[in-house]
Amino acid sequence: MSADAFCDLDLTGVAGAIHGGKASSVEVTEAYLRRIERHDGVLKAYITVMADRALAQAREADDEMRRGARRGPLHGVPLALKDLIAIAGVSMTAGSRVLARHVPERDAEVTERLHAAGAVILGKLSMHEFAFGRPVVDGPFPTGRNPWDVAREPAGSSSGSGVAVAAGLCAGALGSDTGGSIRGPAARCGIVGVKPTYGLVSRRGVVPLSWSLDHVGPMTRTVRDAAVLLQAIAGRDPGDPSTRDARVGDYTAQLESGVSGIKLGLPRRFYLDFPGLHADVKSAALAAFDELGRQGASIEDVDAPTLDLAGAIWVTMLSEVYEFHRETIRDQPQNFGEGIRTRIYMGALVTAADFQRGQRLRARLRREIMALFQDVDALVFPGHASPAQRFEDVAMGQIVVPGSRYTNVWNLLGLPAVVIPCGFSRDGLPVAIQIVGRPFDEATVFRIARAYERATDWHTKRPNPETWKLTS
Amino acid sequence: MTGDELRARFDAELSAAGLSLAGRDDELLFAMWTEHRPAREALRAAVPMPDEEPDA
Repeated sequence: MSADAFCDLDLTGVAGAIHGGKASSVEVTEAYLRRIERHDGVLKAYITVMADRALAQAREADDEMRRGARRGPLHGVPLALKDLIAIAGVSMTAGSRVLARHVPERDAEVTERLHAAGAVILGKLSMHEFAFGRPVVDGPFPTGRNPWDVAREPAGSSSGSGVAVAAGLCAGALGSDTGGSIRGPAARCGIVGVKPTYGLVSRRGVVPLSWSLDHVGPMTRTVRDAAVLLQAIAGRDPGDPSTRDARVGDYTAQLESGVSGIKLGLPRRFYLDFPGLHADVKSAALAAFDELGRQGASIEDVDAPTLDLAGAIWVTMLSEVYEFHRETIRDQPQNFGEGIRTRIYMGALVTAADFQRGQRLRARLRREIMALFQDVDALVFPGHASPAQRFEDVAMGQIVVPGSRYTNVWNLLGLPAVVIPCGFSRDGLPVAIQIVGRPFDEATVFRIARAYERATDWHTKRPNPETWKLTS
Repeated sequence: MTGDELRARFDAELSAAGLSLAGRDDELLFAMWTEHRPAREALRAAVPMPDEEPDA
């Protein structure tokens, strides 16, 4: 098998090659490192490549397997982390000049869990500044380029994670999601992205954006890969109080059970009738819902009136962002990019009364949505409003970008949400659907996603490396 | 609300927040604040019932 062939596999395929003896972890790791060296000058998925450390981990994984020890499905598999997840002794910038010299002394909890699972960490992935900036094409931390069209952005803020997985620069990645930062890049890069239930995955050692909205989750090529990766990182952590009630399921046991008898709710008014929904996304999503129907699911329209206020409620959480950055932005505003600086300042203008109003309405929204789950097993709707944009077309000055309604609602409610590819636009850009489930019911969400994935072949499509060139 | 009144409201909120901005920072924040006003007003207009409390 050629080196690039490994990089075209999904995570499960890579693990199978290593565990089945077709290749060593060192050989696979070297293949990824060569591909990163060859293509990341254009794609800009990585901020830090940890070649020596990754090869040392791979050698250790191979040694363990030779001794008959295999830690699990991630043993020896090369992954990468968004550059706000701490690895002891490795620079962690969060994509900002503010942290350009920061080197954490301790692993994040999720890093520890990946190490314990035997994974190889290839490096740290590019991101929008502090997970809240805007895409940039220059400076010390440029945004990754979408491998389906390098003139376009991959969405953010886990931009490098989306690019690296889609381009085969790692077998899987972790991102973080406060208003859609895993699901946006996953949708626009044609991969699977998971925002787990709030409190399922520890954020200890992860640079915060907004504590009540932040989630860490997997980004992979397939649903099974995402389930395997989530299984490795989920669970209680005394270092993150939000995980005290975490209920970890078995995310692969029911994957192939299909959707016969599953009831799905479609928030048609809020999502399908939204004027900002791109026609190509809409038609592909409708076709996907039809496919789920053919697989045996029933789909009914549902609605919740407070959905209309979700964007406004979400903005009140900027006070959490401002609180975290207040001293730093006062002392060194010049080290923040213009895009995030304005957004952080907006947090100062959220009054305490507005914040409390937001919290009360957030609780109302939660009651309305949880009432829907009395009648349906999951909600389905388009994964995003539009395919990837050209860098120059991205709106820079908005606090809530059009289309964030597809994602930020589910951060407010902390419900599990999975984005999976459902086709391509007429311009050849990936489009996606999203599935949202009950708290800690990731297993059902994965099962539905897998039923759709199994009936289609979108997850097997790969961007063409021949196109990864800049024309000017 | 006239443009001057809007600007005066913004300046008052900036002052209440203890922020003192100038130049492009001020210009960008004013634009963002202005754009966001309708959403904020909608939030303020959505008065919860007295027994609608935030989640624990």
